[in-house]
Amino acid sequence: MCFNSFFFLFFFMLINFFFFVYFIMNGLSVFFEWEIISFNSMSIVMSILLDWMSLLFMMFVSLISSVVIFYSKSYMNSELNLNRFIILVLMFVFSMVLLIISPNLISILLGWDGLGLISYCLVIYYQNLKSYNAGMLTALSNRIGDVMILMVICWVMNYGSWNYIFYFDFMKNDYVMFIISFMIIIAAMTKSAQIPFSSWLPAAMAAPTPVSALVHSSTLVTAGVYLLIRFNYLLIDMFFFKVLLFLSILTMFMSGISANYEFDLKKIIALSTLSQLGLMMSILSLGFPDIAFFHLLTHAMFKALLFMCAGVIIHMMNDIQDIRYMGGLSLYIPLTSLCLNISNLSLCGIPFLSGFYSKDLILEMVSFNSFNLMVFILFYLSTGLTVFYTFRLIMYVMINDFNLMMIYNLYDEDYIMLNSMFVLLFMSLLSGSFLSWFIFSYPYMIYLPFNLKLMVIYVSILGSILGFMVSNMGIYSLNKLLLSYNLSSFLCLMWFMPNLSTYGLSYIYLNFSQILFKNIDMGWSEIYSGKGIFNILKNYSVFYNIYQMNNFKIYLFSFILWFMILFIFFFI
Amino acid sequence: MNNNSNKMFFLFILFFSTLISISSNSWFGCWIGLEINLLSFIPLISNSKNLLSVETSLKYFLTQSLASINFLFMILIKFSLLKNFNMNNIISIMMNSSLLMKMGSAPFHFWFPNIVEGLSWMNNFMLMTWQKISPMILLSYYFNKNFLIFMIIMNLIIGSLGGLNQTSLRKLLAFSSINNLGWMIFSIMISENLWLFYFLIYSMMISMMISLFFLMNMYFMNQLFINNMNFFIKLNLLINFLSLGGLPPFMGFMPKWIIINFLLINKFYFLIFIFMMTSLIIIYYYIRIIYSSFMFNYFKMKWVNLLMKNNMSLINLSSFISISSMILSTFIFM
Repeated sequence: MCFNSFFFLFFFMLINFFFFVYFIMNGLSVFFEWEIISFNSMSIVMSILLDWMSLLFMMFVSLISSVVIFYSKSYMNSELNLNRFIILVLMFVFSMVLLIISPNLISILLGWDGLGLISYCLVIYYQNLKSYNAGMLTALSNRIGDVMILMVICWVMNYGSWNYIFYFDFMKNDYVMFIISFMIIIAAMTKSAQIPFSSWLPAAMAAPTPVSALVHSSTLVTAGVYLLIRFNYLLIDMFFFKVLLFLSILTMFMSGISANYEFDLKKIIALSTLSQLGLMMSILSLGFPDIAFFHLLTHAMFKALLFMCAGVIIHMMNDIQDIRYMGGLSLYIPLTSLCLNISNLSLCGIPFLSGFYSKDLILEMVSFNSFNLMVFILFYLSTGLTVFYTFRLIMYVMINDFNLMMIYNLYDEDYIMLNSMFVLLFMSLLSGSFLSWFIFSYPYMIYLPFNLKLMVIYVSILGSILGFMVSNMGIYSLNKLLLSYNLSSFLCLMWFMPNLSTYGLSYIYLNFSQILFKNIDMGWSEIYSGKGIFNILKNYSVFYNIYQMNNFKIYLFSFILWFMILFIFFFI
Repeated sequence: MNNNSNKMFFLFILFFSTLISISSNSWFGCWIGLEINLLSFIPLISNSKNLLSVETSLKYFLTQSLASINFLFMILIKFSLLKNFNMNNIISIMMNSSLLMKMGSAPFHFWFPNIVEGLSWMNNFMLMTWQKISPMILLSYYFNKNFLIFMIIMNLIIGSLGGLNQTSLRKLLAFSSINNLGWMIFSIMISENLWLFYFLIYSMMISMMISLFFLMNMYFMNQLFINNMNFFIKLNLLINFLSLGGLPPFMGFMPKWIIINFLLINKFYFLIFIFMMTSLIIIYYYIRIIYSSFMFNYFKMKWVNLLMKNNMSLINLSSFISISSMILSTFIFM
């Protein structure tokens, strides 16, 4: 099953690649439309839009998913129901593809809802309590976005069809479009875990690592960004983009800080994903959708690679995810640490790896266009924070001493997992330049003063020095946290947003639902249906039986009486 | 004294009397057929060794003869005093009342559960199926629409409510027979062809049920699960009960479906509601009988072993017919 789906997806990726090159070189785009049902004035059509953006994204999605399925053959080999897992992953890929190719809100809803539900099934795959809680948090946060898309479907009915791409140029200043843009932005924010809804992404790390590599690094969380890229012409000068800018740079900043306090390997990677998502959303809301798309794709590559390396390390450390137990791994697992290093450095934006092309372009565009001081400061500060937690991670995992056991043997040569990582390694090295040559037919004109140009390098060096200094773990290092306990707990617990999404919401509603359950479900609705009707019928039946058991002569006589009465009426 | 030629002789006259009644072109011929029907049924059910069956046959004789006398009287009054062809008048009410009493339909049904309680299963089968033919056909010749609709509603309600509190299987089938009489009277008002269809399917279902109860010699609900039925007999019982209640995809759904279709097209919304709700109550007390035998821990007596190897083909055939006939019937018209 693994091999079949791997080959199928790989072949699909090759098809998409060839079509992408053909389409972008010739400037083509193809639109298929199939009308399913048409009633009164609306028609539900299934439409497929194949332009270079959707083909490129499909190519990346199918590449990452094929590699992840191949990887999970070895990672999940002790799983009894591996076929079930692979089928779930394939259904996920199918929903993602449906989302990518659809210019029509109904098919976007199918893909969107499918993504949310299947990611719930995948997060709760290990059926323990933590996974259940994480899955509930994931599913309900995504559900808010689903509700928003449903309401958008309602509001877009004002315009006569659900193909939104035709309405952007004409209806920009309409009140209806105002409402629609608000809801679309909320939907994208829930899916991509921006500030009010960001507590589900670190919690969803309870999923198996291949799921995290596919879902939470490159496909599910980028669905929101992709939706906004499609809706970009609608939203570009509107008020909501300014709100989105504010929230996304705060997300970027917050997750960068929180990743520095985390000691769980997958949560650090999750928070780094969150930070890069904030970066994508913020550059999108500044008005550069193609750069956001570019960063989306390169980020997908190295983040999936990073998750897969984390998976190998977790398997090796006997399923321990805490980085305080790890150390010195670069000496023992050279190939995995090669992949880890390249993906980490690509995340930081080290020159000429793939992350450099997109991140550096973003930072230069931010510096070149005149935005306000807070945007500027938070962008550069978040870049520095990225380097900070990356170097902290590298120091903890690969350079310091090994902290788990006295006598150990670390084994890396699982070539199924390594081969899949090498594919992504190759792409993560080259995809930056390759994409920039394809997507940008002419380069952006950027003219910066010397120090501003080097600002990226300044914050990166600063971040790396800080990362090195913080990672020297000693006996007294916890006391420094206790000195500033309130501030530290605020910063490390993601600014208390998980509490807001879980405990803050559940108490009132659980209380209310208890009242409803006792009074209505076990109360009035039993009287008016169920038990009450049964009692009524039973009483009627008992009452009838009294009349059934009767004197025979009275019965015959009453028959005669009936006839006599009718006879009298006959002659009146 | 079960299979002797006396019973065959009276059975022959019984069949012949119904044919006389329905194929005569004068009301007198109808009445003659009804009288011969009564006279030939009485020897079938009275067994002088059993006091209960003598009393039952006496009760049957009294009620049916009273109804026949009234029927004759109303025929004569109609001939002498009423010369029009209009059906919706008081004489038709009176004629219909006497025919309804012969059938055992509400509100003249009080004899029916008592008599059914006193007869054996084969006699019950004759009473519930064959004895209804001639009164129903005579009903279709001269009926009062408003009166009959009211009677239908009473039939349905009494058939459903009366059966809720019964433990005797004969009385249960009696009340379900009263309920089905409601459906049948309505189908007579639609078309006689439809009544024939309903009646044939109803008699087929009743025959399957009664043959099963007769083979197992079960008269009461507490006898149902003592004798350790094997799975196919239980399945047959379940399917027949559900089919009698009118659950798709079993056979008993088909005639009810056609009647409901007619009701919907002609906008009889209140009547549909009553038909549906009473069917629900009937299915409730059918399922109440049989559901516990299909749970994982069903009641089983270890010292009783029921050997039914010789008769299983009949049971399997009847299950098969009940399940598949609705689907197979659509193939007729291909």
